[in-house]
Amino acid sequence: MTPEVVKMLVIGLTAGLGFLGPALALGLIGFSAMQSLGRNPESRGAILTNMILIGALAEAIGIYVLIVCIILAMVVK
Amino acid sequence: MKLSSGRLKILIFFFIPVLILFAIGLLFGTLGSSFIGKEPPDIFKVPKPHVALPSEPILHVGSFTITNTLIASWFTILVLVVLSIFLTRKMTLIPGRRQALAESIVEGLLNFVESIAGKKHTRMLFSGVATIFIYVISNAYLALFPFFGTIGVRHEHEFLAIFRAANTDVNVPLSIALMSFFFVESWGMRAVGASHYISEFINVRQMVQGLKEIFTGKIKTGPMNFIFGFINLFVGVLEIFSHLTRMLSFTFRLFGNMTAGEILILVSSFLIPLVFSIPFYGLELLIGMIQALIFSGLTLVFGTIAVTPHEDSHE
Repeated sequence: MTPEVVKMLVIGLTAGLGFLGPALALGLIGFSAMQSLGRNPESRGAILTNMILIGALAEAIGIYVLIVCIILAMVVK
Repeated sequence: MKLSSGRLKILIFFFIPVLILFAIGLLFGTLGSSFIGKEPPDIFKVPKPHVALPSEPILHVGSFTITNTLIASWFTILVLVVLSIFLTRKMTLIPGRRQALAESIVEGLLNFVESIAGKKHTRMLFSGVATIFIYVISNAYLALFPFFGTIGVRHEHEFLAIFRAANTDVNVPLSIALMSFFFVESWGMRAVGASHYISEFINVRQMVQGLKEIFTGKIKTGPMNFIFGFINLFVGVLEIFSHLTRMLSFTFRLFGNMTAGEILILVSSFLIPLVFSIPFYGLELLIGMIQALIFSGLTLVFGTIAVTPHEDSHE
């Protein structure tokens, strides 16, 4: 278990486990948006706006994970 | 599907060259040459993407460092000022085409602010929110021009680009987030009064009332008010903490999205040189607009929460 192998393992695990949360969150947001759109097709504008807003908030968590992985890969010796 | 001759011409003159260029890039670029095993010819050698998270300094004026992202943000400001002067010359009551463009931009932003903030506070919130939106989206879109990242100086065997996307420097999202924090607090204090606004955080009234009631002998309501007042105080401190961590999340959301987009374009044009990174430019356009909308929209939402007076149920 040389240090390079451990470093690669850690980065891979961080990225893999970290992206589970945001992916699940975005799927749930899309699911509820589709359900409410099917129930009430007239409110398309309001649902779309709020879906994009909350989608970007959940996406931000994935971006934090990406930043941690980039720092681990390129800055830490 | 029957193709008319016009559509057939578009198909031939557009898609076939794109396919040919894609095949050339695939075969002779880095990916293809690692499959085939031979070195790519000299014109196709793309330098390995060098990802530097902090921005690189170009000049030193006295003790002040000018970095390439600073030059890019000056360029953004120059473009915005020139564009707005050009669009608003000789304004008439019935707008010509240039003035109509400027009016449609302003009206779109006003409708956006009014849809969340309500008619009463729109005028106060508009300037801050619209400025954040226009600045972030201009930074993101102007970074897609060809001369960003390619014109540069050679400095000790390393190539330093003169222009680099302004949003990829962590200082720019940090400064906009700090400004957004100050905007929200100042809007709250202007709308409901400074002492009322601060009392929404540090709320000792109920606790003091509970103490008074204990000392004057009302045993039934005294301790309950005291305990609830203590909980309110704790919740207020938690509110202060949440206001402060908003700055952190604003910064890293914008910085992460823009840096990830830049790295994506660099790596995709390194792997398959010629046409492959065009869809990623499209993705970058979408992401730039969504991030600008999110930044200004969240500032707007927090500002609306701050200017709405909390209903005082203790009176």
